[in-house]
Amino acid sequence: MPNSSVLDVIVIGGGHAGIEAASAASRMGMRTALITMDRDTIGRLSCNPSIGGSAKGHLATEIDALGGVMARLADASGIQFKMLNTSKGAAVWSPRSQNDKDLYPRYAQSYLTTLSNLSVISQSVTSLIIKGDTVKGVITDSGIELFSTAVVLCSGTFLNGVMYTGLTATKGGRVDERPSEHVSDVLAAFGLERGRLKTGTPPRIDSRSVDLSLCTPHNGDDVPKPFSIHTKSVKNRLACWQTSTSTTTHDILRTGFDRSPMFTGAIRGVGPRYCPSIEDKIDRFADKETHPIVLEPEGLFTNSVYVNGFSTSLPADVQDQGLRSIPALRNASVIRYGYAVEYDFFFPYQLKPTLETKAIQGLFFAGQINGTSGYEEAASQGLIAGINAALLVRGEGPFTLQRSQAYIGVLIDDLVNKNTEEPYRIFTSLAEYRLLLRIDTAYDRLLPHGHALGLVPDSVKGHWERKRTMAEQLESWIDSQRCRPDQINDYLTEINEDSISESTPLRVIARRPVAKLRDLINTLDYPRRHLLVEHPDVVHNVETSVMYEGYIKKLEREAARFQDNEKKRIPDDFSYMTISSLSMEAREKLTRIRPGSLGQASRIPGVSATDVAVLALHLRS
Amino acid sequence: MDAKNHTGPTITAIATPPGVGGLAVIRCSGPDAIRVAEASFRGKATLEDTPGHTIRYGWWYSSGEIVDSVTVSVYRAPNSYTGEDVVEIGCHGGPFVARQILSDCLALGARLAGPGEFTQRAFTNGKLDMTQVEAVADLIHAQSKLGAQAAARQLHGGFVSKLSAIRSELVQVAGLLELELDFSEEDLEFVDRTDVAHRLTSVIVLCQNLAASSAGAEILRSGFHVAIVGYPNAGKSTLFNALLGRDRAIVSDVEGTTRDYLVEQVIIEGTTVHLADTAGIRPTSDTIELQGIHLTHKLVQESNAVILVNDSTRGVDYSTELLEDVHRVFGQKSILLAHNKSDLGMMNDSYIPKGLFPSVFVSSSVGTGLDEIRNWIAAQISVETSIVHDVLVNQRHAVLLSTLADRCRDAKLALEAGLSPDMAATDIRLAISTIGELTGETWNPEILENVFSSFCIGK
Repeated sequence: MPNSSVLDVIVIGGGHAGIEAASAASRMGMRTALITMDRDTIGRLSCNPSIGGSAKGHLATEIDALGGVMARLADASGIQFKMLNTSKGAAVWSPRSQNDKDLYPRYAQSYLTTLSNLSVISQSVTSLIIKGDTVKGVITDSGIELFSTAVVLCSGTFLNGVMYTGLTATKGGRVDERPSEHVSDVLAAFGLERGRLKTGTPPRIDSRSVDLSLCTPHNGDDVPKPFSIHTKSVKNRLACWQTSTSTTTHDILRTGFDRSPMFTGAIRGVGPRYCPSIEDKIDRFADKETHPIVLEPEGLFTNSVYVNGFSTSLPADVQDQGLRSIPALRNASVIRYGYAVEYDFFFPYQLKPTLETKAIQGLFFAGQINGTSGYEEAASQGLIAGINAALLVRGEGPFTLQRSQAYIGVLIDDLVNKNTEEPYRIFTSLAEYRLLLRIDTAYDRLLPHGHALGLVPDSVKGHWERKRTMAEQLESWIDSQRCRPDQINDYLTEINEDSISESTPLRVIARRPVAKLRDLINTLDYPRRHLLVEHPDVVHNVETSVMYEGYIKKLEREAARFQDNEKKRIPDDFSYMTISSLSMEAREKLTRIRPGSLGQASRIPGVSATDVAVLALHLRS
Repeated sequence: MDAKNHTGPTITAIATPPGVGGLAVIRCSGPDAIRVAEASFRGKATLEDTPGHTIRYGWWYSSGEIVDSVTVSVYRAPNSYTGEDVVEIGCHGGPFVARQILSDCLALGARLAGPGEFTQRAFTNGKLDMTQVEAVADLIHAQSKLGAQAAARQLHGGFVSKLSAIRSELVQVAGLLELELDFSEEDLEFVDRTDVAHRLTSVIVLCQNLAASSAGAEILRSGFHVAIVGYPNAGKSTLFNALLGRDRAIVSDVEGTTRDYLVEQVIIEGTTVHLADTAGIRPTSDTIELQGIHLTHKLVQESNAVILVNDSTRGVDYSTELLEDVHRVFGQKSILLAHNKSDLGMMNDSYIPKGLFPSVFVSSSVGTGLDEIRNWIAAQISVETSIVHDVLVNQRHAVLLSTLADRCRDAKLALEAGLSPDMAATDIRLAISTIGELTGETWNPEILENVFSSFCIGK
């Protein structure tokens, strides 16, 4: 255990947010301690054995580009890899992996042991040491006081966590793990406003009790691609299996509604609308006769299967009967029943865009404590909080990302400006500049920042620069090339495109929706054709930027306009209450949130364009 | 908390146009508006004790001397045009009185209002939205009865309700596409492309119609422009004077008398018509006259309709070449062929050839044919403004409406071309933000500047 007087950053919690925060802070040279109740639980996949998915895959990739950990852990522990949405346009392509739930935490724990500035401490934090309006450290349940300049609280579902299965309520943040009962009250006593949210997880069943002949397999991609720029290659090892519920299942589950904590009123917390429990789906979409169920294997060395789509807190006997009404699961043997967990969160309007609390200097929040759901959302916040904790200790300016720069920017901007009423989940539709924030641009957008912060090693930057060069060479070849009809018409006919009658710039041909750059590279004998095999990602990146060119230009103009308003700064001590021409609601919201710029002010619900105009006039005078 | 709305110091200005008139009004708005007026006003009751929406009669004093008898209208925040305390001082017209009252207000601490500042305060105090602000500008500048009516309707929010209908349609379409993009991994149906294309088409048509009405709206706002053209000495100035009902242009038998141009206004069926008398067109090397012809060209360009005057004593076909030239260069403009000096020749209706262009048989000096010309102008106005229904679409609106239509068209084309829905979704998002710019809901500093720059001081 380190000498308690020499810590820079204390991270509380070893979930996905805590890992990123601890890693970032320690790698930025901070003497860091990660305090968790049980070091063996660090990096647990508490819910589904999967990383990424629509928009979440973007977050995982951005974390990698900034020098975070999640993508590498996902690659190391991955048992299936799939790029989602490939039929729908490059902006929504999103990687997803199935992961071994035992390997993921092992890799996480082993990675943390490699960080020389980091100590992992198995203790439960019971209170924070706060002097004036500044955090000074923490107190653990064995009475130890640890002092630090910054504290990052990543408590997940553990703050006053209560788990429900049927009418049984158990205190705890995760099955068989104690809750954290005092910290939330300490913060509330300090005036921070808290609320209650709910999340849930489905039952886990024994793979040997599943009749796979009645399921459809979901396989990974033929050529699986890793998440991380660090990873050379990955392999698919296991398939997932799809089946579905029937009206019989729904009728059985309904018989348990009178013993469901969701319907009896035991759970008051709001659940995630986009990841509803099966009872919620049956109740809200009564006319739907079937809901899909995906059976996800939880690892290579376990028979445990995650029943995706069947999140529930119904009583155990009803879960058994419901599962067994599904033909493929007629013999299902449950390893662990589904349960719901209700926990405290703190309304994130109380945070700066650095995730430091406005009320308590040096105290940062990341993850579910801010009302988000999902591993990737948590990890993104952990990374930003860890980076900013380190910058605060160093006395340097903050590091934040804008909506036009990254999904991480969208996530945090939404959190600090909009009031979370339900667990927040990232979606591609939340990003105004979605076409710019593609997976294939993540490293161009963010890797230089990660490198400047000291989180991306020179070797990785060099690797990325070589890819950049290849992309630029390919682009300039496209610009220099004209196609003669005799060179290209066979190909165009083959793909049912109109043939050309005179020499045409390659860029024009490449822009046709059906044309594939890799085919054009072959047809026109691009000298560096080895790219197709060795760096297909570079070809994809260039193909996309050619195809989207018009749209990219449009959005870049919009983004520039957006940036203009972000640059109009509002002083921290600006007094909104004295501007009587602002609406009362706007005055209250602005005073509460204290936006840093006119642009941020314009995104606060309740602040109208007229209010922003008034602000603009005042800032000018 | 102060319940009143005050955006800044008290401002004042003369709200009526400069020059000699029957009455003039000085407007004063802000926290000290009532105190400022009180200092110079003597009436039966003090302004301080006067409730809002009340007019007081009394005398205006300056340095102990009576200036004028005045009426002072008192409005109290937030129930006033600007949302602040407002007084409007009505006095007798004439340059001296109004200026004296203004300088008294200034001496008592009010500041001279900038252009559009009263309306800007109404906007910042939430009394008007952006389209209503523009409607105020239109109402002030309206050159026709119809224009004033449309502007008044817009002031009641007619345009915004049209736009919000478009917006909600686009939000629905965007929602469908976003659903497909974010959720189709889960079992949601794919979006019906035909339905989306159909909905986009109706939005495009609606926007185009609204944008197209901007030319008509411009006529209602600023009047109808008619250029009178013809060969030298065809009698353009005579006709010009006859239509005005007074001798404005110098008339002589010498060709090229009008080397510059003259514009005067007449009211025809409730709309202001700007008549332009132009220099005659003929091959010439005279520099001054060349400049005149150049000006004529420009005037025709900017006009809504053209009257081509033909000297009928030289034959009905005498100006045919010019007529064809004008038609070739300005093909879309309505042209009326006026056979002038018909009293001097042997002309009557039967001599007028039935050509491409409507023609009329005029004697400016006798006064025949003038009503036909007025009727023809009125008919043109009615055609051009027929698509202006209940909103006045100004230039800014028209540009944004075209952008809006373009963005919807891009979205439709992207879907039809089989491009991925993320592109169409981007276009629709941009379209929705364009609507925000039209209504002022989307914060854009340029809008604010542009809109308020169209006001004069005192509005």
